[in-house]
Amino acid sequence: MSKSSPRRFGGKSTATVTVIEAKVHRSSARNAKMAFILTAVIVGLLSAVVAASYWHPIVALFVGALIGVPTGAVVWLLVRVWPVIRLLWWWSLEVFLAVVLLTCWVQLANHTPTVVTLLVVALVVGVPAAIPTVRRQVIAWTWCLIVRHRLRVCFAQFIIANQSGSLPLILWARPTPVGERVWVYLRPGLSAKDLESRLDKIAVTCHASTVLIERASESNAAYLRFDIKRREVLNARVGSPLVDVIDPTAPVSASPLTVPTALDLPDVDAPTITLPAQGKPAGKKPATTANGSKPAASSASDDTDDVSDWI
Amino acid sequence: MTTTTPTTAGAVPVGAGLSMFDPVFIGIDEFGQPVYLDVVYHNLLAAGEPGGGKSGLVNNICGHGVLCDNTRLVLFDAKLVELGPWRDLADAFIGPDIDHGIDILRRLLVVATNRYTWLLANRRRKLAEGDGMSVILTVIDELAMYSTVLGTKAQQEEFSTLLRGLVSLGRACGMPVVAATQRPSWDIIPASLRDLFGYRAAFRCTSLNSSNIILGQGWAEQGYTASDIAPTNQGAAYLLAEGGVPRRIKAAYLTDTDIYNIADYAAWTRRPTGTPAPAVDPTEWEMAA
Ligand SMILES: Nc1ncnc2c1ncn2[C@@H]1O[C@H](COP(=O)(O)OP(=O)(O)O)[C@@H](O)[C@H]1O
Ligand SMILES: [Mg+2]
Repeated sequence: MSKSSPRRFGGKSTATVTVIEAKVHRSSARNAKMAFILTAVIVGLLSAVVAASYWHPIVALFVGALIGVPTGAVVWLLVRVWPVIRLLWWWSLEVFLAVVLLTCWVQLANHTPTVVTLLVVALVVGVPAAIPTVRRQVIAWTWCLIVRHRLRVCFAQFIIANQSGSLPLILWARPTPVGERVWVYLRPGLSAKDLESRLDKIAVTCHASTVLIERASESNAAYLRFDIKRREVLNARVGSPLVDVIDPTAPVSASPLTVPTALDLPDVDAPTITLPAQGKPAGKKPATTANGSKPAASSASDDTDDVSDWI
Repeated sequence: MTTTTPTTAGAVPVGAGLSMFDPVFIGIDEFGQPVYLDVVYHNLLAAGEPGGGKSGLVNNICGHGVLCDNTRLVLFDAKLVELGPWRDLADAFIGPDIDHGIDILRRLLVVATNRYTWLLANRRRKLAEGDGMSVILTVIDELAMYSTVLGTKAQQEEFSTLLRGLVSLGRACGMPVVAATQRPSWDIIPASLRDLFGYRAAFRCTSLNSSNIILGQGWAEQGYTASDIAPTNQGAAYLLAEGGVPRRIKAAYLTDTDIYNIADYAAWTRRPTGTPAPAVDPTEWEMAA
């Protein structure tokens, strides 16, 4: 975020670019400077006031400055490294997992012979990989981890939020049969409507097929739910429970039908077709006056096309 | 009207014991959960391109209807074969004959009006399960055949007007309408009629625009578009029902054998008592009138 923001005062870039960019992202250096000044002045004044009740006011001022400036410096440092802290927070789960796995590996390697180590690793990795349900669960949860990062990439890269460049809070995620569901808390500057126009881009960034956004709370418009879809699950044929409540051996019942014998074109004599009379089963001609649109507009040559369109 | 072959089995047939006031199972959603519709108090419009699975969905509802106690069916099917299996169980089966269709719709409208008078007399606004009145389920497959193809322009307009009356009146008096059509554009179903259908099912469409016509303006822009359903995935649809947001569903499918089995069984169980005696209802309506 900070890398893309030019220095408004120090930079030598062209005026137009500077103005637009500076509006979007205020540089972290400038933020840090402001934080330093504000903290130093406020803390310094407060300590000076307190100190004034013990010492001479001038001494108290020096004491205030002595306290205020270091506090300001600490705050400056915090704001300057904030991007790094944020990055660590974003990847905290991954970092934690990596540390745990590495520790386990090292401990295992140190305390057991190589053959046993390899055997344990093979079991730990192989058993979940061999059991389909476990494997699917692991893959689904891994996608949840990935998708939260991908969503953040969306917000950081092409969904411009607000002047300070704060990103929405990406809350928890959980797998669904079709993909993942992620809850997001928007910061000022964004709305569900803004996001709807970029659903296709979000889907691309998340390596998904489609993305849907719904409000997750009736009372708070900032709280959204992203449904990320990467699998089609509705492929199989669904049976009906009705077939279970019936007895398939019920006697056949059907009223007799008079089946016409003219089942081929030559069987139907040309004169029997009365053109204007419609509504009879044998009438193959669609109403030429049916409506003002398609059937009437099409010529007699594609009559059959029309009929098959409707039926 | 039912001409069943004499029962040969020694067993006494037992009715399925369903009711139209029960939720009607129509399929599953993306979470694998069953999807039920409350068909009695809602009208359902299913639309989408040919071969999308509309008739499949409509047949589920018919199958539920015929197994229900105290339920009458009025079926419109210009194509004959989609709803034809239920023809002996229905109180009226209308093929490609718009005059017959108009007559039936007129009768249905009179019944609806009488039922509302009855409700008024009983200080009520809505029919409930214990009222003992039959549910009259009207099912129309390929609505476009009646509103744009068969008959004269005047007849088609009359059909549409009567249907609009039934759709707007039937909801609270136990006379729901289930209709299937391809693209519900203005010439097939006027928007004023379309908006009366509380439940909409959008099967595969070719364009965002068609999907919007079915589900309502603006859903495609929010990502709910039936054009993203694969052409090979018949029976998948976006269902706009309770909840206010379209849901992706897969309709249950009854094979021809299933359909005829259900029809035979329904005819068998209905035969001893008959469709609840036509003698009951006319008196009720006369009382009300
Ligand atoms: N729910 C479903 N599941 C699986 N296949 C289906 C389903 N619905 C329809 N089909 C398949 O699609 C074909 C066409 O369906 P149909 O209901 O006749 O379409 P429509 O009435 O929309 O033209 C059916 O013959 C069947 O093979
Ligand atoms: Mg059909």
